[in-house]
Amino acid sequence: MSKSTVFIQLDGREGLIEAELPSTITGAQLHKSLAALDAETDDATFVFIDEEDEPVKRKGKESLTLRPGTRIHVTRCRKIKVTVNFLEKTAEDHFSPGARVRRVKAWAVDKFDLERQDAAEHVLQLCNSTSRPVSDTPLQQLTDGKRCSVCFDLVPEKRVEG
Amino acid sequence: MNVTVPPDRLLLEEDLAAPEFRCGEFEGRWRLVTIHWPYVVVAVSAAERPNAPAEYGFRFECSGYRQTAPTAQPWDLEANGALPVARWPTGRHILPSIFRPEWRNGTCLYLPCDRFSIEGHPDWHHQHPSRLWQPARGIVCYLEQIYELLNQSDYTGIRSA
Repeated sequence: MSKSTVFIQLDGREGLIEAELPSTITGAQLHKSLAALDAETDDATFVFIDEEDEPVKRKGKESLTLRPGTRIHVTRCRKIKVTVNFLEKTAEDHFSPGARVRRVKAWAVDKFDLERQDAAEHVLQLCNSTSRPVSDTPLQQLTDGKRCSVCFDLVPEKRVEG
Repeated sequence: MNVTVPPDRLLLEEDLAAPEFRCGEFEGRWRLVTIHWPYVVVAVSAAERPNAPAEYGFRFECSGYRQTAPTAQPWDLEANGALPVARWPTGRHILPSIFRPEWRNGTCLYLPCDRFSIEGHPDWHHQHPSRLWQPARGIVCYLEQIYELLNQSDYTGIRSA
């Protein structure tokens, strides 16, 4: 049976768990495998593969493919409510926990109708902070799994000068 | 005979084996090329641009790691030497402020997370808090910034293109 290296992200835990799992696995087997890796799931927990919108069914019997490097999100959030503020405007929508910041920025750029050049010169910054998560950051990493929401300000990217 | 491995090297090797670095390798963001302590060469993937490479090499000097930030310079992976200026990455607005060959003769990037560049720039702690070196995150903190720069729309390719 071939195996894939996967990376598991849990709510409120710093860092990833690296594991080897079968490349082809059912939803039920995946939940069982996660439990063995200290990522126990229950009826209130959702498991997402990469940026998929739908969670893996807890007792699913259909085969899933885990490619090498798959990110598995184990979370209490079914969806994450995202708010983006830009100047006097605000936009809101819901994303899957595995959705990356890049996807949110592309959505925000579209919502606020920014020109390509303007978009290149703006970044997402977490509200009330100076933290600017890199675009590969999954939204789950920015929540604690209790509050399933993330707030960003779309702010100008500064040149490094001085 | 016992050979004592210095703690900074141990910490670097620990970080290069950690899930955060490995995940970046699996996702094709970067790859480890060589380690010749205190140097480590990492190739970082770049967005597709005309006449530009798919990745750029960077040589990090890591003595004092992790408490001391590393310093990195663009590196020619084939020639195993400093990358000629004509092949440095550039862009429209942000990238030219960071990939500056005239800064310290091209031996480091003009980034707040760089050991040498942060020297003499106390204002950067307030102006660019998200670009500072984070010892707890280690080399991934520096690599993420380079990857981000080479994969944003501001990036236009190499200087001579």
